[in-house]
Amino acid sequence: MSVLVLEARKWAQTMSIAFSDRLAYKFDFVLYVLGPSIVFFFIKYNLWVSIYSYQTESVIKGYDLGMMLQYQAWILIVSFLAQGHTSLQLAEDIRLGRISSYLLYPFSFWQYHTAAFFSLQVIQIFVATVSLMVLVLAGLLPVNLDLLIQGVFFSLLVGLLWFAFQFTIGLLAFWLEETWVLRVMLMLVAQFLSGAIIPLELYPDWLRSLLLYTPFPYLAYIPVKIFMGEYDASYLQTLLILIFWIGAVFMLARFVWRRGLRLYSAAGM
Amino acid sequence: MISCKSLSKNFQIHIKRPGISGALRAFVTREYRDVSAVKSFDLDIPSGEIVGFLGPNGAGKTTLIKMLTGIIVPSSGSAIVLGYEPFARAVEFRKQIALVMGQKSQLWWDIPAYDSFLLLKSYYEISTSDFNQRLNELTELLNVQHLLQTHVRRLSLGERMKMELIACLLHQPKVIFLDEPTIGLDLVAQTAIRDFITRYHALYGCTVVLTSHYMADVEALCSRIVLILDGAKRFDGSIESFEGLLGNEKYISLTFDKEARDSNPIWEELRAEWNEQGTRVDLRIPETRLPELLGTLLQNYPVSDINTEKLPIEKVMRTLLDKPEMLKS
Repeated sequence: MSVLVLEARKWAQTMSIAFSDRLAYKFDFVLYVLGPSIVFFFIKYNLWVSIYSYQTESVIKGYDLGMMLQYQAWILIVSFLAQGHTSLQLAEDIRLGRISSYLLYPFSFWQYHTAAFFSLQVIQIFVATVSLMVLVLAGLLPVNLDLLIQGVFFSLLVGLLWFAFQFTIGLLAFWLEETWVLRVMLMLVAQFLSGAIIPLELYPDWLRSLLLYTPFPYLAYIPVKIFMGEYDASYLQTLLILIFWIGAVFMLARFVWRRGLRLYSAAGM
Repeated sequence: MISCKSLSKNFQIHIKRPGISGALRAFVTREYRDVSAVKSFDLDIPSGEIVGFLGPNGAGKTTLIKMLTGIIVPSSGSAIVLGYEPFARAVEFRKQIALVMGQKSQLWWDIPAYDSFLLLKSYYEISTSDFNQRLNELTELLNVQHLLQTHVRRLSLGERMKMELIACLLHQPKVIFLDEPTIGLDLVAQTAIRDFITRYHALYGCTVVLTSHYMADVEALCSRIVLILDGAKRFDGSIESFEGLLGNEKYISLTFDKEARDSNPIWEELRAEWNEQGTRVDLRIPETRLPELLGTLLQNYPVSDINTEKLPIEKVMRTLLDKPEMLKS
């Protein structure tokens, strides 16, 4: 049997086990995947509806109420497609020393967690599809197949960027006893800087242009704009920049992993 | 098969001072304390042997095993296992060894053991026919066929340990490290695990390195004992020579009708250990003087029961831990 087939089988089997592991507590899973995003969506929905009702002008920085709600609805879809992963499990594996087992298997720790991420993505894509259908049927989102394909593809790549971020933070468990606070901070900072709460147009111009040099807008604002057909820059160029960021954060993760492993294998913890 | 030369491991342990001021101080200047966990260890284990690492908690047994499996890197010295340097963690090396840690589960908690086995099947690239045949054999030996589809978290500790053993043996490793495989198990389960290891070893002749706090494990399984105290090797040899380590003394326990403790110097000489009430005493008598001394004691004291045995390994162990200086002679 060829090496490739054997390797593919390892990944597939890991995905399958991560899948059943995640679905072992079904209620918990539903709360964890759906809960935060949907609650957050409804809060923002009501917030913007009431903001617009007090506003004398019906357009804020180019957004009327319908556009703003559409923006928020796309944010929900993007968060399903791209931001489902957390590195909770990874950090636990390190902190509790379970990493020792992975160091013995002929399948590495990063491979295991990457495969687990892929299996989560399968679920997330399903959830995103159902949500999209609901939102379209509710009349909140228009459908344009071209934009949809571009947006979904882009969002899935954003998922990789998010995964790389999470992976790096999870690895800090080599040095820190608890990475929960850091993860929450990453989430909050990312929420604000990525435009997930307020579209970036509403920020001061200098901040907006500054942010576009960081990876944050790629997490929410840019994919949403692509879904809405409003992103001015070339799709291909944006895609390349995103890929650059993914590469950069993965390099960072790799660096942190090596340092951490050296610490772990030197100290045994 | 396994050999190491002056293998050492030092840890830097970060000193944490109590309180907020301590935490702040640690932020600015971290203080470290050097701890040497394994000191210049030499070891040679030929293929097919079962060796027991003995020693109290924190003696360095697990550190040694972690170095031999490649989980941690030695500070100095060399180790060769199966022709590989363990800490290079070559995939080929990892495919030939296994480690079972009694205190840490390697199985996925929330899914049946069988699913974990399937995962390991793909990791170790085991063919389906080999896998089925080995799984059948192992589950039969351990009598757990009916538990394969049960979620691991619902298994008892003993059942889980059996599954852990299966998980580590599916790829037929040449060297197996068992770090306290019977910890926390009841006597029946301990015996089952022990019997299994004996039978498995007889079938496949793999090399086994075992640590345990239960002397019964060591007595039943190991042909050779390595005693580790404070990171250093203090004894390396057969069980018989270990038992004879404290001289050829008989271990005798006498029970009396009423309190018999008195100031007779003979007690001191025989290193008497009395119970609270002074109605029972443990003595160590040199084999050659046994008839004579026992006769005297029976004549002069109201002995109601006598128990004599060879100094059990557990006693040897306890004595050595109390008085490690006895080993130097």
